Order: sequence, then C-alpha cells, then structure tokens
Amino acid sequence: MNLNTTVTVDEEKSLARVALAGGLNTDTAPAFEERLQQVIDAGHQLMVLDMKDLDYISSAGLRVIFKAAKQVRADGRSLAAANRKPHIDKVFEILKALPDMTVFANDQELDDYLDTMQQRTKSD
Amino acid sequence: MSKSITTRLIALLTLSTVSIVGLAMWLDYRLSRDELLQQLHAQSEQTVTTAIVDMENWLEGVESSTLLLGRILQQRDYSTPGLKQMLKDIVENNDDIFGSAIALNPDLFDIPLGFAHYYFRRDGILREADLALEENNYQQQRWYMDSVAAGKPIWVEPYFDVGGAKVLMTTYAVPVYRVDDAGVRSLYGVVTADVTLQELRQYLQRLQLGANGQSVLLSREGLVLSAKDDANLMRHYSEINNPEAPYWANLLQKVLVGQTISRQRQCTDIPGSCSVHMGTLNTGWPLVLMYSDNELLAPLHDHQIKTAITGLLTLLLMVLAVYFVTRRITAPLAALSAATRDISQGKLDTPLPAPKGEDEVATLIQSFKAMNHNLKTYIADLETVTASRSRLEGELAAAREIQMAMLPGGGETLAAQDIFQLWARVTPAKTVGGDLYSYQIVDGKLLLALGDVSDKGVPAALFMARAISLIQQLSGPDVPAQEAMSAVNDMLTQGNENCMFVTLFLGVLNLKNMVLSFASAGDAVPVLLRNGAVYPNTASSGPALGLASGLTFPVNTLQLQTGDRLAIYTDGIEEAFNIEGTMFGQERISTELLETVSQPVDVAGKHMFQAISDFANGAAQSDDITLMLLELTEPAENWTSEFNPKAEMPAQVAQWLQQSLESASVNRDNIGEFLLVAEEIVTNIYKYAGLAPQDSFTINLEVSDQRILLEVADRGKPFNPLTDAQQSPLGADIENAVVGGFGIHLITSMTEHQSYRRQGQENILLVEKIIKNTD
Repeated sequence: MNLNTTVTVDEEKSLARVALAGGLNTDTAPAFEERLQQVIDAGHQLMVLDMKDLDYISSAGLRVIFKAAKQVRADGRSLAAANRKPHIDKVFEILKALPDMTVFANDQELDDYLDTMQQRTKSD
Repeated sequence: MSKSITTRLIALLTLSTVSIVGLAMWLDYRLSRDELLQQLHAQSEQTVTTAIVDMENWLEGVESSTLLLGRILQQRDYSTPGLKQMLKDIVENNDDIFGSAIALNPDLFDIPLGFAHYYFRRDGILREADLALEENNYQQQRWYMDSVAAGKPIWVEPYFDVGGAKVLMTTYAVPVYRVDDAGVRSLYGVVTADVTLQELRQYLQRLQLGANGQSVLLSREGLVLSAKDDANLMRHYSEINNPEAPYWANLLQKVLVGQTISRQRQCTDIPGSCSVHMGTLNTGWPLVLMYSDNELLAPLHDHQIKTAITGLLTLLLMVLAVYFVTRRITAPLAALSAATRDISQGKLDTPLPAPKGEDEVATLIQSFKAMNHNLKTYIADLETVTASRSRLEGELAAAREIQMAMLPGGGETLAAQDIFQLWARVTPAKTVGGDLYSYQIVDGKLLLALGDVSDKGVPAALFMARAISLIQQLSGPDVPAQEAMSAVNDMLTQGNENCMFVTLFLGVLNLKNMVLSFASAGDAVPVLLRNGAVYPNTASSGPALGLASGLTFPVNTLQLQTGDRLAIYTDGIEEAFNIEGTMFGQERISTELLETVSQPVDVAGKHMFQAISDFANGAAQSDDITLMLLELTEPAENWTSEFNPKAEMPAQVAQWLQQSLESASVNRDNIGEFLLVAEEIVTNIYKYAGLAPQDSFTINLEVSDQRILLEVADRGKPFNPLTDAQQSPLGADIENAVVGGFGIHLITSMTEHQSYRRQGQENILLVEKIIKNTD
C-alpha cells in the first residue's frame, strides 16, 4: 500500500489543501504524520484534507488525523476533510470519529465555504 | 355528618314538627291572649263597677239618712236634748256615717251663737262636739254657708273639721226649710252627715288597681278627696302633676257633664301603657281610675311565660322523641351502610347488623347477607378454578419446555457445516404442539426428519414425543429412509386406539455424493429451489403413520448440487389464516422462498415466519408451523500462512489476504473491510504480544460463500485484544478525543463474531465476517 501526499497552498485565503492518494495504514501513517506536521507548522488558518483519492484508512491513519485536529484546534485554527469516499466515511461513522470536524462533501461546498469566510474577514 | 340519613331525617322531622307545633302554639297563644285580655279587661271593669256601686250605695245611704233627718226636722220640733238624742242615735246606729250634725238657724232663736251639735265616731267611741262655740262657729263654716247658699242638699268641698272631729272630711249638708202658715219659707237649719276622706279612701282601696294603679277621687271643684299619696289630699288637682293639668282639665270637663271616659296613655311613672277610666259618682265627684296595663295584664304575662315554657318543653320532648325514634329505626341502616362499605372493599367477612322486624331495612339487610354469602361462594369457586387453571398453565408451560428440549436447538436450530447449512424452527399454535423436526449427522450422513401430528395441543404433543423418540432411535446412517419409516409406523400403530396419526418426512443425505434419499408419509414432500426457481416435485409418498401397521413406503432419490436449497415444512404454513379467513397458500410460500433464496438459511427462514405473522394480521394461529431449510454450500477454501513480527509485516499480511480473498471471488467492499480488520489485529500483535523478531505467528483464512473466517494464533504473552486493548470512547469532539484506541472498535463493528481463547502457550483470536447477501 502506498500513500501520495500533495500540498497546495493559497496564501491569500490562508488555506492549505492536502490531497491524499492511496491508503493510510500503519505503514504509510508515519510518513504522512511528518508531512502533515510540516503543513501545520506553516501556520495556515484552514487545512483541508482532500480524500478524493484515498482508498483506505485504518486506525493508525485516524490517529494521525486526530492528533492533527487537536493540535490546530488548540491554536484557534481548523482542520477539515473533503471528498471522503463511502467506505472511508463508514469508518469515520463506525467510530463516530471527530463529529465536530468540518466535512465538505465536494469541492463546491469547499469553495462556497471559502467565499463566505473571505467575505467575513473583509467585513471585519 | 350531614350526609347521614339519620341526621337528615332528624333534622327535617324536627324542623317540621317544631315549625308546625310552634305555629300552632303561637296561634293558640294569640287567640287565648286576646280572650284573656278581654277577660282581664272585663274583670277589671267588673271590679271597678262593683266597688263603685258599693261606694255609691254607701254614699246614697248617707244621703238618704241625712235627708230623712232633714225631713223629720222639717216637720217636727224637738227640744235641744231631744235633738241631741236623735243625733246620737243616728250616728250610733249608722256605721256608714262618720258623724252627723244638726245646726239650727240662729235667726230663729235668740242665741247669737246658734245651736249646732255634732256627734261623731272616733276609734269606735262616740263623741260629741258643740259646733256653736265662738271659736270655729258653725255659721262661718263652709258646710253651713254653702248649703244655705245652694238652698239644696249638697256635698260640701272637703275640709279639715277644726271644730269637730279634727279630720279631713266631706259633708253632705241638707238645708231644712219650713213653711209657716203664711206660706213663707224660711231656713230652719242644716243637717249634715260626714264622710271622712279616710273612709272614702278605704272604699277606693278595694278597687285592686294593681301596684302601680291608683284611683283619684275629686270633689266637684277638683279638690282631691282620695289619692294614692295622702300629701295630695285637699289640693287642687291642677297643683299635682302640673304639666298634665290641661289634659286632665279637658277630661274633667267632659266627665263633669256626665260622660264616662276610657283612655289609654303612656304611664307617667312606669314604662308601658296605662288605662284611664273616668266618670262621676252619683255624688257628682269625678273618679279617676288609672292602672298599668302591664300590671293588669300580669296574669297574661304569666300565661305567656307558662305557655312559652310548656311550649318549649313540648318541643324539646318532641325533638328528643324524633331523635330517638329516628335513630332507632335508621340505626340498622347506618350499620348496614358501614358494613357494606367494608364489604365493597373486599372484606367479605365483615359482620352485617342483625335484621330486626320485617320492614324494608330488615329486608335489605337480609338480602345483603344473602348476596354477601353468594359472593363469597362465587369468589371461592373462582379462586379454585383459577388456581387449578394456573396450575394447569404452569404444567403446560413446563410441558412446553420439555417438548422444545426434545427438538434439536430447543425449537430453533442452525447447523452450519462445510458443505451445508441447515435451519429449522417450530412454532406451536398452543402452549404445546404436534409438529417436530430432527436431524443427526452420523458417519458422513445427514439424517433429516420433519413431521406433523394430527390436531394440536396436549394429545398431539404426547404423540409427537413418542414419534420423535422413535424416529431418533430407528433411523440411522445405514437404515434406508423407507425402512425407518416402516419401523416407526409399526411402533406408532401399537397402542394407538385414539387413531392419532402423523405425516412425516424422513431423509438421508449422503454428504459425500450429495444424494438425498427420502421417504414420505402423508404427502410431506420437500420443495427444491435450484437456480432461482422451484424445481418440479415428483416424489411419491405413503399413508400417514400410526393407523395401520405393516406398511411399506416408496423411496425417493434426489441428486443435489451445490447451491440447491431444500425447503421442508408442515401444512401449518399453507393453512395459516388471516382475519378475513384467507389462507397463506402455496403460492405465497413459493414466492417467499424464492425471494429469500440468496439470503442465508436462517435469515430466509425467519423472514418466512415474519411473513406468515404479517399475513395473519392478528388472527390467532390455527395450526403448528414448522419449516426446515437445507442449503448445500460450496466447501470453504482454506489458506494458512506464517508471518514474523517486523515492520513490513502488516503490508505482507494485507497483500497475502488480498490475493486469497480475490481468488475466492469475495467482493471488493468485503475485501476492503476485512483488510482493515486484519491490519488492526496484526498491528495489535506487533505492538503488544511481545514477540521477538524471530518468532512467528499463524494466520488461517477460510472463505466460503457464506463467510470469511480468520484465525490468528501467536505465542506471545497472554493478551486478549477484545478485552485488554485500549478502547477509547467513541464520539468525543476534537477537544476531548483520545488519540488512538479505535482498532478494537473497527474489528468488532466490521465482523459478526469475534472470539478469543488461550490454548497452551498460544493466543488464538477468531473473527468471522458474514459475506452472504444480508438485508
């Protein structure tokens, strides 16, 4: 099993998009954890885990995401997930994992959300 | 309290009688009061009249005597002693007269002082006085002068007789005239008779005018002749009680002209009204009688009080009488009421009051007694019946348990083997029933039985017990089904006077070649589902068992294939009725079986029972229902491999599993989930089993079209991941979430069964995932 992580940053919106492709299991989790930590340290307001191409997630992978979510929340920032595949969704559901984590069903939702946030910050 | 009939009766009766009697008494009092009043008035009038008449008589007597004396003197001459003597005789013999005097006209005689002699009575002794003395000479006395002036007999105004008796008196003076030969009338003298005021007063006192009543006698000119208070004697009435003088004056005027007056006015000295009667005596003296009406009516008041007391006592006695009588009569009613209240609350042994007499209350009590007695009897009977029914139900419940225990699985069973799955269930219509099923796996043969005893309930259950015992004993791996059938039939026919019978299916499935040979008694044939359709049935059967011995049964043979499903059932399914009276019917059965053919046998079987129940829609189950489903399955595939605990191990395991599962044609989703489960399991072992790198652990994988079975055995320290691994709570939000500890959740939620055992030095974890299509 392999995992490819691609990070796209939008400085203007303080957004970091982390795309996962492949499977997040005991093997691939450690490397992913390192990469994710780098993104967190960059200090973006919002980090989105794009799971469009994620086929597999085990408890090891969930652990990494939990840890990351807690860390950014403490900072006042947020970690969100997007484009979860059905069986990935199922795992989250079974474990009732991170019920308060923002989940975008598709890219459109993400874009709408970003627009709203932008307007909000503009009017502040 | 006011709700009691006793109280109400007493109150109402008392009220009524008090009102009625009270009214009567009051009316009586009013009427008698008027009468009494009249009487009293009449009485008082009478007394007054009598007294006055007496007085008048007396005064008239005085007048007559004096007039007589006068006439005597008119005609006769007497010498002075003769005159004195005559005078003395008169006074002495006439108690009515206090004193009497003869006074001669001094002009007729030569004596300047005149001649007047007087006799009077004092203290019973006769005395005399000479009125012709120089001091208080009679000629200057009013009695002489007024009578002479009047020229006729008069009663003189009262005076104090200084010269004579020295008392207050009034005098009847009669002037005496003589006519001489020439016809000239001249005064001869005056004769008098005296009446003391005290005497007058004594008469008046007889009038009984009451303590506050008084009589006042006035002279013609209004001087008081007699009054209550002696101090008022001789005074003019106008001097007394000045404010009222005009009032009296007015009255007096009327009286003096002869009128009698009766008035009522406010008493002056005492409260209340007073009656005043005024008239004149024949002497011309006004007489005023006053009395307090209250005093007059004193007897009336006494009467009133007596009446009132009598009345009250009467009423009181009546109230008491009403009270006691009512209480007495209604007491049993009150007692009955209290007793029945207790009885109504279930205390059936409460004593009822004793009925007295034969009135309605007594009848009521007796009826109640009878009713109570009957009630107790009924309840006792009911209790007996209920108790015996409870006992019976208890026994039936116990019987049901025993009967169910006779069946494999206790009434429902699921047997899963390598090449077949078997499910069966019996639902009796009543507590116990007559349906049965049985199976045995012996020597590579699966022995099947499914039967239906005639009727249902306890008789069928007893016959069923016989039948199933015989079946289990008489069938065997080497006993052909039809022979077993004959043997069972012969045994059942014995001692079966009741002619119970059973329809039965006996089958023997050769597990090696999948040939099913079976016999059927009474048309109990199986239904074969193959390739999604109902396979036509060509089995032949014999008669039902238990009625005739020595029967033979045809044998049927069926070659079964993997994937075939056999359904055997009793007619209870077909003949299940709904509330409209429609049968479930063979068609519905076939439809149900086909609909569920790709589901595991237990799921399909339960579905059928649910469908029957839904169809019945509340109608009572009319017959025992039994269903058996047998499915021939592909034998499972098996893989085993060993792994060492190193970093690449999870990946290795995943790869091996994926290949195997794909080769067994397991679908992608199941593979994905199973890989997740496996990863969690082996990761746990890697982390916690404490294995050295050179140690290894074994994974055994078994896949059939029903399920995937994974067994992992390791020689690590004792560790049950199901209980010993960290399990974090689910659903916590980001802040409170615990990182890690979710592996076990994933394992338990993605597999249907998990079990752990420690065998020797090994931990053995077994998980099973059902992959057959399930709803």
